[in-house]
Amino acid sequence: MKKSKSTSINSRQHVIVGNCIAAVSAAETLRKLNPQDSIVIIGEEDVPSYSRCLITYFLGDMITRKHLLSHNTKWYDERNVDLMLSTRAEGLDVKNRQVFARQNGRKKKIPYDTLLVATGSTPIYLPSFPYDPDGIIGMRNYADSVKLKSWAKKGKKAIIIGAGFVGLKSAYGLVKQGVKVKVVELLPTVLGRMTDMEASARVRARLTRHELLDIELNNSVIATRKHGNGYMVTYQDGTEETCDFIVASVGVRACTDFLKDSGVDIDRIVMVDDRQQTSVDGIYAAGDVCRSRHIVSGEWIYNAIWPVAAAGARIAAANMSGDSLSYEGNIPMNSVDFYELWITAIGNVQEEGPDVEEITFNTPAIYQKVKLRNGVPFAFMAIGNVDGAGIIRGAIVGKTPWEEFVRRPHAKILPIVNQYITDPAATAGA
Amino acid sequence: MKAFRFISENCDLCRKCEEACALVCGSSKKLSGTYVPHIRVMQSPEGPYVRLCKHCEDAPCVDACIGESLQRGPDGLIIQDEDRCIGCFMCNMVCPHGAIKTIMSQEKAFKCTLMCGKEETPTCVFACDRGALFFDDLRTQNNQKRRAKLRGYPKK
Repeated sequence: MKKSKSTSINSRQHVIVGNCIAAVSAAETLRKLNPQDSIVIIGEEDVPSYSRCLITYFLGDMITRKHLLSHNTKWYDERNVDLMLSTRAEGLDVKNRQVFARQNGRKKKIPYDTLLVATGSTPIYLPSFPYDPDGIIGMRNYADSVKLKSWAKKGKKAIIIGAGFVGLKSAYGLVKQGVKVKVVELLPTVLGRMTDMEASARVRARLTRHELLDIELNNSVIATRKHGNGYMVTYQDGTEETCDFIVASVGVRACTDFLKDSGVDIDRIVMVDDRQQTSVDGIYAAGDVCRSRHIVSGEWIYNAIWPVAAAGARIAAANMSGDSLSYEGNIPMNSVDFYELWITAIGNVQEEGPDVEEITFNTPAIYQKVKLRNGVPFAFMAIGNVDGAGIIRGAIVGKTPWEEFVRRPHAKILPIVNQYITDPAATAGA
Repeated sequence: MKAFRFISENCDLCRKCEEACALVCGSSKKLSGTYVPHIRVMQSPEGPYVRLCKHCEDAPCVDACIGESLQRGPDGLIIQDEDRCIGCFMCNMVCPHGAIKTIMSQEKAFKCTLMCGKEETPTCVFACDRGALFFDDLRTQNNQKRRAKLRGYPKK
């Protein structure tokens, strides 16, 4: 906090609450645009910034601790950023422009000229599986992965509720630690709306090929209770099962607690405008905490993915420095691999409708699917061979008609396009 | 800043650029155990075209990289820390040029980082004797394009 007492009249103080990608991306941009200003990052955890997407890889010992913790304190020093670790933002005084925080039990007031809310999101727990620090946690930060790792050393059996990206990646990590894992999913497909039945079956088959991993679809957990050293789980069909610990991965909610009663417009997530500014002047938000636009339809959506956080924060930082840029948003998408089976999904492939057509490419090794609305692609999914997925994303974002797209030389990289050109009948609908 | 320029009409698919790239740049050998070039010349009805990293100004791959492996280097080029790559292929998902090669066996993505020579001529350009591949300043590139349009053919 020494920098805040700077005597320069023009120097402002930018405060960033949160310390993940949105925060470091914003800090980088802020420093580039304002060499004189002071920048403060308030981080809740006791470690500097790291990639939260990598914690499941850390859990499975696929990467080392050093690899995970990518930003050391030197990174902050080089950019002259004040890093306050183990500090939790608890409240906000919009009138006097200060953040109330608590660091190791001591209360602090941090004044700001502009504020960036980048607190991200936290796992959802339901009454049937409430948060329990001794056995029911979500997979969200470094501490969670360390905890799960230590539980994995003792425990023999884990139940994961939810087969989304985080759920399956956690399962993958835990299996690598030698834990027997059962994943329970309410939906008929894994990975949410990113896959169709065929793709889901392929992912499931690949994962459950490992004898320690089991995935059960169309089922949910209605109750959990303590049972010996572990837990007893009751499913909706009435059957019961014991386990040593439970991982909740049914979804996330935005961390907006410290903005309560501050006057910032919140509807479960922070309502920002195109400039990433909230309803209060000088307060911006970026990352998983706020909404963003769907780049194709232009609607406001909750798109909690890494690229949105990185790009949105840069826009916010430029606007905090006095610029006026708008963020066009992105499309829901994700990419992951399990036992060398790659899955890339862009947009909602489960969408149906009278004007929706689909084109598929189906071989034992590769499965690809494009969904078209009025001849324009809006969703794409590839399994096995994901090479060139970005080219089709370009067509989706650019609203290029499919017939025009397949004639482009680059499009031929994709097996689905190649087959469509040579044998259109084979690709028509599954 | 310098960038690649490809003149489709002059290319006759001899693939000397691919060969030179794979042999000189060690990254593919290190990653996959075989020689895989970063530059790939493809055939299409409109003539040949290359798949090669354009080092975009607004690079979506850098934003998408969850492992913080792809970064913009000090000279504006997109560089890759191969050890940090975890093979999620988020970069491949957002690259509109299809320039990122996915090495499935090693769970790594890899791309041209101009390891073979940033200041001088990159290997692929050096190897091209057909006058199809150039590496020059963006400003002269625009001039070249204009001149090529006026004359009807490009010249080295």
